[in-house]
Amino acid sequence: LRPPTTRAAAPGPGSEGSRGAAPGRVFASHRGPGRAGSGGSMAADEDISLLVIVVDVNPVWWGQQILKESSFTLSKCMDAVLVMGNSHLVMSRSNRLAIIASHSQESRFLYPGKQWKPGNFAESGESSSAESSWSGSKDGKYELLAFGNDIVTEEIKDLMAKTEVRAHLTETLLAGSLAKALCYIHKVNKELDASHELKSRILVIQAAEDSAAQYMNVMNVIFAAQKQNILIDACVLDSESGLLQQAADITGGLYLKIPQLLALTQYLLWVFLPDPEQRSQLVLPPHVHVDYRAACFCHRNLIEIGYVCSVCLSIFCNFSPICTTCETAFRIALPPVLKAKKKKLRHPTLNYLAS
Amino acid sequence: MYDESEKTKRWEGGYERTWEVLKEDESGSLKATVDDLLFKEKRKRVFESHGQVRLGMMRHLYVIIDMSKSMEDQDLKPNRLTSTLKLLEYFVEEYFDQNPISQIGIISTKNKRAEKLTELAGNPKKHKEALNKAVGGACSGEPSLYNSLSLAMDTLKHMPGHTSREVLVIFSSLTTCDPSNIYDLIKCLKATKIRVSVIGLSAEVRVCTVLARETGGMHNVILDESHFRDLLNYHVRPPPANSNSECSLIRMGFPQHTMGLLSDQDAKPCFSMAHLDSSSGPTLTLGGYYCPQCRAKYAELPVECKVCGLTLVSAPHLARSYHHLFPLDAFREISLQEVQGERYCQGCQGDLQDPIVYICNVCQNIYCVECDIFIHDTLHCCPGCIHNQSNP
Repeated sequence: LRPPTTRAAAPGPGSEGSRGAAPGRVFASHRGPGRAGSGGSMAADEDISLLVIVVDVNPVWWGQQILKESSFTLSKCMDAVLVMGNSHLVMSRSNRLAIIASHSQESRFLYPGKQWKPGNFAESGESSSAESSWSGSKDGKYELLAFGNDIVTEEIKDLMAKTEVRAHLTETLLAGSLAKALCYIHKVNKELDASHELKSRILVIQAAEDSAAQYMNVMNVIFAAQKQNILIDACVLDSESGLLQQAADITGGLYLKIPQLLALTQYLLWVFLPDPEQRSQLVLPPHVHVDYRAACFCHRNLIEIGYVCSVCLSIFCNFSPICTTCETAFRIALPPVLKAKKKKLRHPTLNYLAS
Repeated sequence: MYDESEKTKRWEGGYERTWEVLKEDESGSLKATVDDLLFKEKRKRVFESHGQVRLGMMRHLYVIIDMSKSMEDQDLKPNRLTSTLKLLEYFVEEYFDQNPISQIGIISTKNKRAEKLTELAGNPKKHKEALNKAVGGACSGEPSLYNSLSLAMDTLKHMPGHTSREVLVIFSSLTTCDPSNIYDLIKCLKATKIRVSVIGLSAEVRVCTVLARETGGMHNVILDESHFRDLLNYHVRPPPANSNSECSLIRMGFPQHTMGLLSDQDAKPCFSMAHLDSSSGPTLTLGGYYCPQCRAKYAELPVECKVCGLTLVSAPHLARSYHHLFPLDAFREISLQEVQGERYCQGCQGDLQDPIVYICNVCQNIYCVECDIFIHDTLHCCPGCIHNQSNP
C-alpha cells in the first residue's frame, strides 16, 4: 500500500521537486541553496538579479536535427530553457527574467510579452488571446511560472510556424538579439529607484555556427556589455564558437560546450544557474584557451605578425603599397640615399694606395 | 603678426534676457520648461560625428598638469589639485577604453620647472598610480609653460609620422614664467605637427589662446566640475588627423596567450619582461604572452616588446576602435503622433511615452529617448539595422 501523496501531480517542468519543500511549508521561508552559505557577500534583499536567456532557434539547424532523427528537438530544448527560467525566478522573489528567441530573420522577446503586466491574471477584457484563454495552472504550480510557461510556448509556436524561411538567410541574428537584450537591461536599470541595485547577466544558448559577417556588431555588443558590467555566459550545443569564447572571456562569463545534448537541463542548472558571487565557491568547467590572434583581411588566415594600416586599422599579412579597405597609398621607408662622394684628385700615387 | 580673428566677447554684445527662456503654464508651474531643459540636456551628449574625416587612431598624448600655487584654491572641492587628479584618473581609464593602442605620458610643472611623472606608456595602471601619488604633493611656485612644452616636444618629435602627437595642458594659473620667447616655441610646435589643447581653470589667457589656435587645438575654460568632465570627455575621442600626417603600415604582433598548467611536462616558470620597469621584484609565472618574433614573455597587452621593438596587441584592442571609423548616424526626431502601428520601442520593448521619439533613417525602427542615448553612447550599432543586414 502506498501512502497517499499530498502533492497534486508528478513534477512537471517548473516545479522544483528536488528542492525538498515539504507540502504545507510556506515557500517564502525556504532559503534557496545559494543564499544560505554565502559567507562574506550577504547581498541585500533589494538586489535585483536579472537573467536574460537568448535561445538560438535557427530553423535550418533545428530542421536538420529532425532529419537526423536525433532525440534532441526544439521542444526538448525549450523545456530545458523553461526549467532554467523558472528556477531562476524561484531562487528569490526579486529575481527577474527575460527570454529572447534569435531567429534568422528576427529576434523576438518570448517573455515578458508585450501585453502582459504582472499581477493582472484575473482581468479579461482586451487582453491578448493567451491571457483570456488561460484557465489556471493545472498541476499546482506557482501561478506566475505556469502563466510564463504558457506565454513562451505560444510565442515560440507562433514564431516558428509563421515566419517564412528564406533560402539565402540561414544565419542566426545573434548580434541583434544581444543588442536588444542590452537595451532591455538598460531600460530596467533606469526604471529602478536608487535603493535597488541591478545585477544582470545574459545566457546565450547557441545551436548553429558563428556568422562571420556579424563580427563587428558582436564585438561592439561585447564591449558595451563589458562597460555596463553585464556578464555573457555561453552554452554551445554543436560547434565551438570563437566569438562566444571571446565574449565570455572579455566580460567574465562562462563558456561551455555541452558534451551530451540530452542532458542540457542538468548542465544549465549546474553551471549557469548560480549567481556570479557564488561561482567562486563552486568547481566549474575549466577556462578555455581563447585564440586572440587576428585574421588577416586578405585571406582570413590567423596570423601572428601582421601589418596594420594606420588609417583604417585593417590587418594584412603581407606588405602591400595600397590598403585595400581605405585605398591610401603607403610611404615605403627606404634607407637614406647616399650621394656619391666626389673623389678629390690628389697626388696620383696616393690615390692608387687609397683605392 | 597674428591676425585678430577672435569672436566678440560676451560683455561686448547686447543684453541677454535670460529670464525669457522660462515660461510658465496656466497653473503657474515651471515643470514643463524644466522637463524640456532636462530633455535637451540628455540629448546634448549625442555629438555630431565628424563625417568622412580621417581620424588619428594611434595617439601619443602628454598631459601637462599645472601644480602651481593657484591649484590650492578651493573653488573646486576639496581643492583644485585633488579634483583635477581624480578627474584625470577617470580620463585615463576612458582614454584607454576608447583608444587601446595609444599612449599617455604625464608631466607636472611647478616652481618654474617641469618634471615628468610618467613616461609615454600604454598601460593605465602606472599612470593611475602616479596620479594617486601626486595627490599628496605640495603646490608651490609658478608654472612654466615653456619648460613643460619643450619637455613634451623632446619626446614627441621622435614619434613616427603616422601617429597623432598631442598635448593637453591643464592650466590654472594666470601667469607663466619662461626662460625665453614662447612664440618661437609655438612655431617649433607647429613645425613638428604637435597639437596642443588647453583647459583653463581660472580664466582665458591670451598666450594659451594663441598656442591652441596656432597648433590646431582648443582652448576652453571650465565653468564647474561637470563642465570640466565634459571637456575632458571631448578629448577622449580621436581627433581629426593632420592633413600631412603620413599613413603607413605598422608591423604588429598578435601573441597567443599560453596558460601553462603544472601538469604539463614542458611548462617551466619564467620571468616576464614587464618586471624590468616595475618597482616590485621579478615574479615567476607559468603563463603569459610570448612575442612572436623574439619569444620574450609579457603578462599583459598592449605592450611594446623591449627586446625586439615589435608592438604587441590583441585583436579585440583593434576592434575597440572600429566604431570610431564607422560611426552611427544620429537618429531623426519625430513626434509620437506620427508613429503608425504599434507604439513600442524596438530596442527595449517598452511603451513609448515621451512626445518625441527617434527613428533610424536606414531601417525605420522607432526608439525611445533612453535607448537612443544608449545606442549612440555605448552600443554604437543600431539593433534594427543589424537585423536587416542579412536581408538584402
